[in-house]
Amino acid sequence: MAWDLIFWVVCFFINIALLASSFYQLLSLSDLEADHLNPFEASTRINSIVLPEFLLQGFLCISFLLTWHWFMFLFTLPIAAYHLMLYLNRKHLLDVTEIFRDLNTEKKYRFIKLAVYLLLFTVVLFRLVISAFNSLHDEVDVHAF
Amino acid sequence: MGTENPGRPNFPMRPPPGPFASAPPTMTPFSSSRPTPPSAYPTMTPFSSAGPRPLARFGDQSVPPPPVTSVPPAGGPYQQFPTSPSPSTAQAPPIRAPPQGQPPFQPRASQVSASSVSFPPQSQVPPVPMGSSPQSVNFSPSGVNVPQPPTGSLFSGPRPNIQPTFSPPDSSYSAAKSTFQPPFPGYPSKKSAVSQTPSPFPAQQGSFMPPPPASSSPFSSQQGSYAPPPLVAASLGYQSRGQMQHPSSAPPIGGIQSLTEDFSSLSLASLPGSIDPGCDHRTLPRPLDGDVEPSSFTKMYPMNCNPRYLRLTTSGVPSSQSLASRWHLTLGAVVCPLAEDPEGEELPVINYISTGIIRCRRCRTYVNPYVTFTDAGRKWRCNICALLNDVPGDYFANLDATGRRIDLDQRPELLKGSVEFVAPTDYMNRPPMPPLYFFLIDVSISAVRSGMIGVVAQTIRSCLDELPGFPRTQIGFITYDSTIHFYNMKSSLAQPQMMVVSDLDDIFVPLPDDLLVNLSESRTVVETFLDSLPSMFQDNVNVESAFGPAVKAAFMVMSQLGGKLLIFQNTLPSLGVGRLKLRGDDLRAYGTDKEHLLRLPEGSFYKQMAADLTKYQIGVNVYAFSDKYTDIASLGTLAKYTGGQVYYYPNFQSSIHGEKLRHELARDLTRETAWEAVMRIRCGKGIRCTSYHGNFMLRSTDLLALPTVDCDKAYAVQLSLEETLLTTQTVYFQAVLLYTASCGERRIRVHTAAAPVVTDLGEMYRQADTGAIFSLFCRLAIEKTLTNKLEDARNSLQLRIVKALREYRNLYAVQHRLGSRMIYPDSLKFLCSYGLALSKSVPLKGGYADAQLDERCAAGFTMMALPVKSLLKLLYPSLIRIDEYLLKPSAQTEDFKNIMKRLPLVAESLDSRGLYIYDDGFRFVIWFGRMLSPDVAKNLLGEDFAAELSKVILTEHDNEMSRRLMRILKKLRESDPSYYQLPYLVRQGEQPKEGLLLLVNLIEDQMGGTSGYVDWIMQIHRQVQQNT
Repeated sequence: MAWDLIFWVVCFFINIALLASSFYQLLSLSDLEADHLNPFEASTRINSIVLPEFLLQGFLCISFLLTWHWFMFLFTLPIAAYHLMLYLNRKHLLDVTEIFRDLNTEKKYRFIKLAVYLLLFTVVLFRLVISAFNSLHDEVDVHAF
Repeated sequence: MGTENPGRPNFPMRPPPGPFASAPPTMTPFSSSRPTPPSAYPTMTPFSSAGPRPLARFGDQSVPPPPVTSVPPAGGPYQQFPTSPSPSTAQAPPIRAPPQGQPPFQPRASQVSASSVSFPPQSQVPPVPMGSSPQSVNFSPSGVNVPQPPTGSLFSGPRPNIQPTFSPPDSSYSAAKSTFQPPFPGYPSKKSAVSQTPSPFPAQQGSFMPPPPASSSPFSSQQGSYAPPPLVAASLGYQSRGQMQHPSSAPPIGGIQSLTEDFSSLSLASLPGSIDPGCDHRTLPRPLDGDVEPSSFTKMYPMNCNPRYLRLTTSGVPSSQSLASRWHLTLGAVVCPLAEDPEGEELPVINYISTGIIRCRRCRTYVNPYVTFTDAGRKWRCNICALLNDVPGDYFANLDATGRRIDLDQRPELLKGSVEFVAPTDYMNRPPMPPLYFFLIDVSISAVRSGMIGVVAQTIRSCLDELPGFPRTQIGFITYDSTIHFYNMKSSLAQPQMMVVSDLDDIFVPLPDDLLVNLSESRTVVETFLDSLPSMFQDNVNVESAFGPAVKAAFMVMSQLGGKLLIFQNTLPSLGVGRLKLRGDDLRAYGTDKEHLLRLPEGSFYKQMAADLTKYQIGVNVYAFSDKYTDIASLGTLAKYTGGQVYYYPNFQSSIHGEKLRHELARDLTRETAWEAVMRIRCGKGIRCTSYHGNFMLRSTDLLALPTVDCDKAYAVQLSLEETLLTTQTVYFQAVLLYTASCGERRIRVHTAAAPVVTDLGEMYRQADTGAIFSLFCRLAIEKTLTNKLEDARNSLQLRIVKALREYRNLYAVQHRLGSRMIYPDSLKFLCSYGLALSKSVPLKGGYADAQLDERCAAGFTMMALPVKSLLKLLYPSLIRIDEYLLKPSAQTEDFKNIMKRLPLVAESLDSRGLYIYDDGFRFVIWFGRMLSPDVAKNLLGEDFAAELSKVILTEHDNEMSRRLMRILKKLRESDPSYYQLPYLVRQGEQPKEGLLLLVNLIEDQMGGTSGYVDWIMQIHRQVQQNT
């Protein structure tokens, strides 16, 4: 049971990292829009964390599969697939020269991702609490017998 | 089909009461409705004639008998014709003066018939060879001269078959007619239809004239069908455009005056039973005058900047979003901030360094003629955001009784729409940079062979004196093949020192300080270098090209200062970073989703490099010379995002193309250039710039970064309404360019314009500016080809035009009976012709086989930057006949205006006895007719006039004719010096050269799968009519 708890804790932190990355990218884009950031810097910032985010998200997705969490796996699969598609088409990085033209699409895409991550976060949190409760409960049970 | 003048009631409101005889009235197609004094106007005749077949038809018709009067008084001739005029016939004919239109038709008839077959049959009318009765019913009873739907005739069988039956009417009736001829120029042509003496159009005859019988046929077929023939303009022919637009022959209109219309129209009635599409191609509006700058705009607001700097697609800004959404021609503007000023009209330069430049506190608008001073001159109200600002003490002046500042006369910024301020130090991040030219020259074997290096070295050397910014100008060189060669040009050296770097993966710059030198100090070293450059590499056999690393090296050298980087590239980059594959022009890719990828840069290197270059204020001009595929799509990206341009000389040979390169490079080096510039366009409250189009990179949402910019660059912007309703009466636009002038001064160039807010869609159409619209359309379409198929780009262009015309039609469809006439505002009379031209332009036309990929991309990059005037010239090039001028015994220079008469771009304009110049602003094609007198050819070409023309180079010979030709060419070149037109000579019938050089560019002709002008109009018209 302890493993289960550890697993959910890891998931929890990965999820927080994903949330943070999405949020940061969105923030950079809004800064760019508001002219607080120039396109060169904004695209460098965002592009530097795109791949780590993809990897992290992919890892999360696969670990759900391997640990037999079907529901969670299916939940994360669409985004993983979308990431993979972007990567294969070489469209995952921001194009600095056309950044303003794509700005709205990119923002929308990141908003949706943020929303999904938030949803995932609540689910993971829920599972974490359950598993924590369970493990505590188990310990109590062990003591009782 | 005719073009009518706006403001003239053209539509007949009721059946013509009497014989419409007076000659003049007949000219106005629609005017017939008013009673006119009877005269022996023979126009009626055609209808009365009709051979046996028409008769049969008439029987079918259940048309109420028309007023008797309609039978033309000139009875004599008519009696010949067997048929008694059926009711409908009698009426209808008067309405549009039938015969007049005819002559123009005939020549084309043969052509058109072929093309028209391809049209999908429309729903309108079933094709009936001789005109269907239902059709005639439509219009005949009311007498309304609604033209017939175009369709039927198109599909009917080949004309020739029909002809014979109808030919009879002529002789007697032509005689009758001859009496009427004098009043209208076009009239004689009508006669010609009958008697085959088409005097007005002699030029055309030679080339395409159908056999005589054919000519009469259109005429006769019309008779049979009763469909009214095309309008006024037809008769006038395209020769007299002026007249056509303002047919003076139109008599006063009397009762209908109230219906004055403000649109022009084309009658596209097809004649049932004839093969004619129902409109005469000669009368279609054609932009033969080139670009016409909108004048109403400047008249209304005299303090506006000149339209050469800023043009709006419509000078009437819609007052609400709903209105804007009905304007399908995109709301936008074209800005050419550094447009060349004519001699003596230089912008006033104002120095306010001491007081500071007056700007609005909130929106940062610069003070301009439209700000208002209040509170006895202590405050001023910003015209863009309406904020009340304080007037600084130094700038204060009292107001006189009328509220004008008393010192107004000394304040050019309050009088003129365009001024230049000298910028104080707050406008600089660093001291103003010196003009800097850096050359990156390919010296691989193909470059050596083509002779490019020699021409470039020579040209640069000859321009050294004229480079702007003496004595601060800096200069530097790098050459490259499989290695990169740097040149130390330190002034203390006697000769340049060459350093070779062969490590392409890790470029380093040796002696970073001496690679860029001050030109005036190192002048001799630079000259020595340029003199020896061609010989230095003449034995080079290296085939590789380390383009990417060389660009990187140049970037490292220049990044301290920025400047202009000129790249001369002869092969496909093959080594190091940025090497390109032979992606080639893949036939299989066309028509698939992958098609557009060919037109996009490969990999991320070029985009990233372009972004870095822009960041460090480096503008790139790419000169490409290869005869093989060089992936201009990738190379051009460097120019696109750095505000530069692409010059493409396919298959460069110095002996042939040297002159062109020399001129264009010299122009590039010596024209006034603005350095490290940024541009911003501010719009009045409620309006926002949504997207920008051109060669530049956006630095923030509304700031264009332009490392180098000059007079040959224009930028387009799309506008949108931010608020649902504009409350102001006037909207202001201010385009501001902040730049470093070559003299080392930081300057701000401010262009201000005002435009009225209108609540009426019709007014928007009236104020439309075709030039600006197409400048914007062209950029949108080219951008679309980068993400879509060519086909899609063309379709969306057509859709825009159709939507615009449909919306316009809807405006008037209710109050007027438009029938099948095509209507359009006078301001947009060239919408269709430019639309066709654009869809046949190099970046958009056809598919795989129609243009080489590199050519397509290069043209795309070029057109993205062209100012309006050059763009329109490129879209609809001029075709001029010059043999008459050359042969005239005494030609004065003032004759020039006369000979510069542009001809429509149809094969019919070419007479085999003539000599023509085709000029699209980028090249000349000189076309020698087959029957052109050999003397002329000999005089112009010298002894080898009979030789293969592709090997002949046009030079001046020692005779008057040759000198005159050269003078003409020079004159044409002077009209737009930004590019040099190289003459290509071609003889009629010399295939495939003639086809490639000229025929394919006769955009109004139907060419392999593309529609001709008439077809295009019909197609648009049909689509406009759907869903209305």
